[in-house]
Amino acid sequence: MIRSIIKFKASAKNAINNRTVLIETTAEDHKIAQLTALAIGLHLTEAIIPSPLPGVKPGIANIVTLYVLYQYGFKTAAWVSLLRVFASSLLLGQFLSPTFMLSLSGALLSLACLWLTQKLPSKYFSAISLSILAAFSHIAGQLLVVRFWLIPHTGIVYLIPIFSLTALVFGVINGVITTKLVKISPADDVRKNF
Amino acid sequence: MRLLPLFAFCLLLTSCTSPEPIHNTQSYVFGTLVDITIYGESEEEAQEIAGEIIRDFQDLHNRLHAWRASEIKSLNLSFKRSNLPATVKPDVAAIISDATALSIQSKGAFNPAIGGLINYWGFQNDELKPIKIDDHKINELVKHNPHMVDIAIKNGKASSSNPHVQLDLGGYAKGYALDSAMQTLRQHGVRNALINVGGNIIAMGKHGDKPWRVGIQHPRKPSAIATLDLESGWAIGTSGDYQRYFMIKNKRYCHIIDPATGYPVTDVQAVTVLIPPQVNAGTLSDVASKPIFIAKPNLRAETAKEMGVDNFMVIESDDKIITSAAMAKRITWTDVATAKYVTQLQP
Amino acid sequence: MWLLQSMLRNFSLNLTKNLFRQQPKPLAGDWLIILIGVISVIWMFQQFWQTAPASQFKIRQGNHIIGIFDLNQSRDLSIKGAKGESQISIQNGKVRFKQSPCNNQYCVHQGWLNRAGQVAICLPNQISLQLLGAKNAYDSLNY
Repeated sequence: MIRSIIKFKASAKNAINNRTVLIETTAEDHKIAQLTALAIGLHLTEAIIPSPLPGVKPGIANIVTLYVLYQYGFKTAAWVSLLRVFASSLLLGQFLSPTFMLSLSGALLSLACLWLTQKLPSKYFSAISLSILAAFSHIAGQLLVVRFWLIPHTGIVYLIPIFSLTALVFGVINGVITTKLVKISPADDVRKNF
Repeated sequence: MRLLPLFAFCLLLTSCTSPEPIHNTQSYVFGTLVDITIYGESEEEAQEIAGEIIRDFQDLHNRLHAWRASEIKSLNLSFKRSNLPATVKPDVAAIISDATALSIQSKGAFNPAIGGLINYWGFQNDELKPIKIDDHKINELVKHNPHMVDIAIKNGKASSSNPHVQLDLGGYAKGYALDSAMQTLRQHGVRNALINVGGNIIAMGKHGDKPWRVGIQHPRKPSAIATLDLESGWAIGTSGDYQRYFMIKNKRYCHIIDPATGYPVTDVQAVTVLIPPQVNAGTLSDVASKPIFIAKPNLRAETAKEMGVDNFMVIESDDKIITSAAMAKRITWTDVATAKYVTQLQP
Repeated sequence: MWLLQSMLRNFSLNLTKNLFRQQPKPLAGDWLIILIGVISVIWMFQQFWQTAPASQFKIRQGNHIIGIFDLNQSRDLSIKGAKGESQISIQNGKVRFKQSPCNNQYCVHQGWLNRAGQVAICLPNQISLQLLGAKNAYDSLNY
């Protein structure tokens, strides 16, 4: 995708000279665009399904992020994740709203976590571990935004146990699904970035 | 996850039940906070009974006051001047008698005659200030050796063979007040009540269909370190270094003074005792914790036994907690993490 | 009814069987993370759900209830007591004695209160702060 941006810049120069703009994209770019669309779709679906408590969600869009991490590396996963956050918020009309802030903070912190833990030996740690750790980082990011900006109330510590429980449960589930997906996808160019 | 809102809803429902027939009065008497809870009486009845108890407390407080003009203060003055025996009212005479018996039982650890020492340390004041510690003076006061047995009561008159006997019923009066309140409650036919005088609590009956539950204050935090059920007639008392104290350069000087040394005890934060139903359960709940507080670590269990106490708990200055076997069975720690600081004594 | 139930049961059994066929097994490190996760979650429930956070508190002066106040605000209150005025500070879920005319300042030293059942008292000024909760952990406090 980065290559395609560079190419776009090059062709932009051409456009100024009134030549046709051709953005060259690779098959990889297509795949990634599809996955991003999938992530956005999953995010939107989740947004529609009511949850018993605000903030308690299965976070299935994160499966895509993790999958992309394994297949295409961290940079791409970060792109997909952040694109998903921005695009979903725009589509839902929540851009720059508190919901968006929560989504963003969660995404940023979980990405940071993935960046740190992606190097964990895959002999001992599969996507399940990364998913759990990323899930906890996600809620941590959200709770920080809530505590220090949205609802600066010491009473929100009451929510920490519930959010942690959902992070653990769905972290495991999403991790298992990701592992399964990675296994059944073409193994050739898998983990070329590791 | 769907169960969560259901659970929360049920919790809400439990608080929607009809109001309990419970009446609570808070008052500042006895130089401390008094909390009277009466269950099962009408509002008017409960208010009247609580009012009577408060008035009795006020009266007792005035009569037994250690440093303001009171019957005790007059006695102390006459002891000091080695005057002729002074008149003493029957109930005060009984108090002196009882306190003497308990003092002997505690081998002098509980000693209400050391008013002079308590005054020296500045604890005979509503507001406490650090004092200038003069070891010589303290030694002198200890050497005066005032004891309850120095007091003789004959024909309604009291005299002391030792002019340095200065009565201070600080470690006795609150418990005595509890017993007196129980009597008043019984006279009015109250079956269920909970009385808290400055932290000392006695229970009568139950809180509806469950026993009265009391919290035990954490020595250093405004919350409870543990809770336990106080069955009918049982009393609980705690002596703590956090109730009345002053600090000098980060060192704490609390109001519980060892009569043998003349200095406040420094290695204990709190001692809690539970007293089973008996005539002077309240008094004992106040008195019995002091000797255990003062005793050396290896003698605490023995001291408790001497005072007839099976249920006790000691929180040492290093946060270690020691409980008797019987007490351990009754206590529920507020924070499960506390359990790791606890040593249980063998029965 | 019975037939429908058994059909449903069969369907869901088959579904789960298919879903869980050749399920990726967690690796050694995964189990470690899961274990740490479980322990953390249990610890959090114990830590934060031990006592209910309070949402209101009661101020009493002598035997009068001055009022029941919301903890969800940020303001200072001045309560007149037996000795003078005590300053009480409420700050988004917690409350404390900020200033009091007493000599020993025990009440101020109690610090912030935020859980149901907690109490801070200024004896000389005869003012007490008591945090309220849906269910009280105990009927009275021994101290």
